[in-house]
Amino acid sequence: MDKKETERIVKEALSLGRNALVEPDAMEVLRLNSIPVPDFRVVKDVSAAIETAGEIGFPVVLKLVSPNLLHKSDVGGVAVGLKDSKELESRWAQMILDVADRSPSVMIEGFIIEKMAPKGLEVIVGGINDEQFGPVVMFGAGGVAAELIRDVSFRLAPIDRDTAFEMMSETKCFPLLTGYRGDTVKDLDAVSDVLMRLSAILEETDGLREIEINPLLVYDKGVLAVDARAVLG
Amino acid sequence: MGNVKGLDLIFNPGSVALVGASEKPGKLSGKILQSLRSSGFKGRIYPVNPAYGSVGGMECYPTISEIKEGVDLAIIAVPAPAAIEALRQAGGKTPAAIVVSGGFSEIGEEGGRLEKELKEIARREGIRVIGPNCMGVYDGFSRLDTFFITEERIKRPPQGKLAIMSQSGSFALTVMDELAAEGVGVARVISYGNKADVDEADCLDFLADDDRTGAVAIYMESVEDGRKFVEAASRCSSKKPVMAVKVGKAGAGVSAARSHTGAIAGRYEVYRAAFKKAGIIELEGYEDFIGGCKAFGMQKRSSGRRVMIITDGGGVGVGLADACAEMGLDVPPLNEYVKEDIRGVFPKYVVVGNPFDLTGSVTDGMFAEALEKTMEGDAYDIAILAPMWGPPFLTDELVEFIAEKAGIVKKPVLICTPGGEYTRKRMGLFHKAGLPVFSTPESAVRAAAALSKGASAGAKAGGGIYG
Repeated sequence: MDKKETERIVKEALSLGRNALVEPDAMEVLRLNSIPVPDFRVVKDVSAAIETAGEIGFPVVLKLVSPNLLHKSDVGGVAVGLKDSKELESRWAQMILDVADRSPSVMIEGFIIEKMAPKGLEVIVGGINDEQFGPVVMFGAGGVAAELIRDVSFRLAPIDRDTAFEMMSETKCFPLLTGYRGDTVKDLDAVSDVLMRLSAILEETDGLREIEINPLLVYDKGVLAVDARAVLG
Repeated sequence: MGNVKGLDLIFNPGSVALVGASEKPGKLSGKILQSLRSSGFKGRIYPVNPAYGSVGGMECYPTISEIKEGVDLAIIAVPAPAAIEALRQAGGKTPAAIVVSGGFSEIGEEGGRLEKELKEIARREGIRVIGPNCMGVYDGFSRLDTFFITEERIKRPPQGKLAIMSQSGSFALTVMDELAAEGVGVARVISYGNKADVDEADCLDFLADDDRTGAVAIYMESVEDGRKFVEAASRCSSKKPVMAVKVGKAGAGVSAARSHTGAIAGRYEVYRAAFKKAGIIELEGYEDFIGGCKAFGMQKRSSGRRVMIITDGGGVGVGLADACAEMGLDVPPLNEYVKEDIRGVFPKYVVVGNPFDLTGSVTDGMFAEALEKTMEGDAYDIAILAPMWGPPFLTDELVEFIAEKAGIVKKPVLICTPGGEYTRKRMGLFHKAGLPVFSTPESAVRAAAALSKGASAGAKAGGGIYG
């Protein structure tokens, strides 16, 4: 874990008066702490976006970067599976209109061009720094409906690998990770690595109140954190 | 770290001073005096009140400082500002105090200031303080009873191995009354109210090393220092079962939370995570709390989750099996060897299996025999016996028959006996025989589940004297 660099990112955001990291910073924190993230860059305009997408390789994901928007997809700030520069250009225009329409107060700082990740099983992993009990980590069924479904399990940090497995096995979605109805067995070790690393990040980083990956895509081998947020304070 | 010696005196003082002692029937202090004198407490009692020369035939002192001897425990039951003064005067005279008085942080800012002052005096004078805004202690061994509700309204449980910790005084009282009615004995009951000094962690530290406490049940509203609590509870749960109910679940989530995790992580989820870390058996709600107290107060922690069900009413047997499945307990079938053995002894019409249905032709002896035959060996960890009292050959002696065999099998035995007037009168017989009895299949199975949850926590922690 790159503790110093993680702390620098958090401190800088706090000094700007922010109460959350922008997504590229949150993703960077994950990357610094050995949590796999897809190849991504931040761009300011559409021509840079097209050029970057060419370098990364289509298909790509286009995401809005804003310091005051934590749930981008709610306002149309995410476009996935963009096949070529034509589609990227038209969805770019659409996104700006949608966001202006649905949430006019959103400040647009730039855009993320991210390598489209292969389909995987969606789980949510996260953690909070509780006032009374300190860092607490969570595992659960992922996706935009995570809050609604609430198929989750919590533990006080720090956690070991056994505890990470216990957390996973306590959720109803656990069979999905272990070969449900002919599907493949997913990489549980990689998920527990992420849970343990989140627990360590929360314990070691001052000023970080919540951190979350939703979804974390789980594959037969490995995982990818395709969306992250971090709340400060 | 808690001053265990100080806490010992809170439960087991050789002498107490009651500040505010009065004979006026309406006064709290009057009720406390009544509780102290009727409970069988053997220590010396010093009434303290400048308004009287004597109270209840005992010499009354104007202030604590004027008592010549040292006093082990001061019980302070005067209005908040006077309570502070009384604690100050107790300095050098007593190492421990219970401040029953309300009017502190629970009423707001002004009270909060008084509480801070109280805390400072306690620290400066080296007095361990329970409260303020609490009911204090009922001790099954020393018979110390500082609860200001008399026994006429709230019965006190007999001496036993359970310790009850409660932030709320009225909850502690209600539990005592329920346990008294169920024949469940207690070692220590403590209501600590605002926790200005002694908190949950201090109590758990004391109870962990307390030989008379065999199991701990906590009623919890909130904890201030979560990590300290988890540490103390872990130590205690490695030695004896610790269970807890957390109330106030509906409270707002983590303030200003904005991630999904933050929104889902309401206070309760965090407490659950803390309970897991500490090896605490989580109980849900009032009924579960009483059930857990009955189970751990009268039986010991089970070594696994395999349940044997014996009944004379097939329907309730199936209901118990369903409830077991729901609560994560196993109801494994009888092995063939035991089946053969049983068939050789029992009449042809009994349904040999698990549930074991002794049918309406059941006798007292058949229940006892079935319990012994199925529970010897290592096939089951817990037995639930469900006698329905309709069958004509069952008599009140069934209770003794079962109690005797329960002593032999050395595994937890729970009784589930649903029914009306006749049945309910029989429940009292089980209480007297020291067997936990439940009136519904669900409550019996929940208690069995609590006993088995203790098993996994205990196993992890390497067991303990009550393991």
